[in-house]
Amino acid sequence: MPVYDRGYTHWQPSGGAHLPAWLVIARRGIVEPLKRRWLLLLILTGWVPAIAKGGIIYIKLKAGNLADLLGGGWTSIGPDGFLNFLEHQRFFVFVLLAIVGAGLIADDRRDNGLSLYFSRPLSLTDYLGGKAAVIVFFYFMVTLFPSYALCLLAYLVAPGATGLDMLLLMPLRVTAYCLVSGVSIALVLLAFSSLGKRSIFVMVWWAIMVTGTEAIAAIAGGLGSHGLEAVNFLGQYHNLGAVFFSTGPRLQVPVPVSLVMILAWTALAFLVLRRQVRPVEVVS
Amino acid sequence: MDGSVSKVNPAAATGIQVSDLTFAYARRPVLKGISCALQQGAIGLLGPNGSGKTTLLRCLLGQVPLTRGKVKVAGFDMAASARRARAHLGWMPERGGVIPGMSGVGLTAYLGELSGMCARDAMQRAHEVLHYVGLADERYRKCEDYSQGMKQRLKLAQALVHDPQWLLLDEPTSGLDPQGRIAILELVRDLAWNKGLGVILSTHLLADVEAVCREILVLKEGRLLAREQVDGGTGEPRQVFEVEGFGDEEAFRAGLDRLGAEVVRDNRLWLVTLDLVRLAAEGSGRGIDAAAGTGAILKAAAQADFALRRLRRRPLTLAEEFYRLVEA
Repeated sequence: MPVYDRGYTHWQPSGGAHLPAWLVIARRGIVEPLKRRWLLLLILTGWVPAIAKGGIIYIKLKAGNLADLLGGGWTSIGPDGFLNFLEHQRFFVFVLLAIVGAGLIADDRRDNGLSLYFSRPLSLTDYLGGKAAVIVFFYFMVTLFPSYALCLLAYLVAPGATGLDMLLLMPLRVTAYCLVSGVSIALVLLAFSSLGKRSIFVMVWWAIMVTGTEAIAAIAGGLGSHGLEAVNFLGQYHNLGAVFFSTGPRLQVPVPVSLVMILAWTALAFLVLRRQVRPVEVVS
Repeated sequence: MDGSVSKVNPAAATGIQVSDLTFAYARRPVLKGISCALQQGAIGLLGPNGSGKTTLLRCLLGQVPLTRGKVKVAGFDMAASARRARAHLGWMPERGGVIPGMSGVGLTAYLGELSGMCARDAMQRAHEVLHYVGLADERYRKCEDYSQGMKQRLKLAQALVHDPQWLLLDEPTSGLDPQGRIAILELVRDLAWNKGLGVILSTHLLADVEAVCREILVLKEGRLLAREQVDGGTGEPRQVFEVEGFGDEEAFRAGLDRLGAEVVRDNRLWLVTLDLVRLAAEGSGRGIDAAAGTGAILKAAAQADFALRRLRRRPLTLAEEFYRLVEA
């Protein structure tokens, strides 16, 4: 029997609510990587520092050493301690985002997927919004969500006003910082992803961007040329974190310079995305 | 709501209107002032390489910014309401068109959701269209494991999932074996002829167009060269008839000469070319159609006492028609 004899029927909408296109893209981008066990393991590993820090906080507070925790250092539950924690998560940010973000647009370009997406009723903003949301989600997985867990723990065990601060102010600081840095980092990584058709090359460029610029800044700093610290990609976000956490700058570079650098990267990334993400490739 | 698939009012416009469509890639003009109005039905898009067929499809999809002109799909202006217009279009690209890592049903449902369907509808519909295209048993396999024929079917399924009014097919039988090609053409033909979908079929294979389409658009160097019916050339003024018989050949030949026929003999077969316009003018026939020519030859044979064993109009193949148009 020819296959068409089985019939083609026209679609009768059931009236159910449909998700916005960007959310459909984001959901797929998040769910697909989470099916890989080793990636789940990596995310869990990204929580180890938070668990360790949480354990120390718990022990110290139970031992009655709140004063120790309000000071500086990695175990601190003050703003400085949280910014330190987020700074130390940069290894997981780098690795996790390289894995989930490198192929987000590159794979679509390789498989002519952009043509498929843009034959649907969705806009460039929907597409980029969905892809960026994937990166932001995984960024939050190793920064924002562990920070929330630490805030909750500190609230539960810290006495009085310190506990209240952990419930109200600190989550706000962490959310604002992670949102700003997450969106900016997502756009930069997407721009890299849009420049290639193979995710491995995108990973290499991402590695150069993150570790290469950090190495240059470190070498320059060692030689006394602190101005070059402005090229340290992730370092600028931590430096800008001083504004959100009301602490001192993390680098020798002034905070406004970091802000300018971040804005410049983000704007450049946006321009690259506008140019690269289109359904038809123009070969000149 | 923008971006959602709205079921159209049957009374509303369902066609595609193109007016003065002009497009250039990096200042190189690809489409030059194309205008046409397409109603439902199967339409073949033909043209030599580089004539702008795929670009025209991309313009209809709103995937490229138009230099000049206007495209309207189902009453929606592509420049102003691209998302609403695209909701009525299904696109089957020649290259790529599947997203590796996803199962057939996952991909189809995903693209259904992107077309504005709710998750439940999209999944149900994905199963239905995959069943329709003959991928019911393979729907849970990964796309990258599909054969070329299965990929083409999957691409057709994803184009159908949101029940578009128009299907834009770019080389749908590309890379298929004869059996796979026939299967895809059967599906496309069924959709266009029995299910009321508009189909625009861009291909190099004239036989595909001949099998499916009722109308052709011929592009050459970015211009719309011709728009014709695929009817074997029944409306053509000059028709070729195959004649075979026995009797007084000289008298029959003289009778054909009186009709102004050009005669080429190939062994026992006579190829008789008649100018039906002339026949109509002389009142020898019933007008410009094949029957007029057949009648005139029958009459000439009867007068010459020539017994016919075979008389049939040789249909003009699409290839002949195409080359006549393009080389003119």
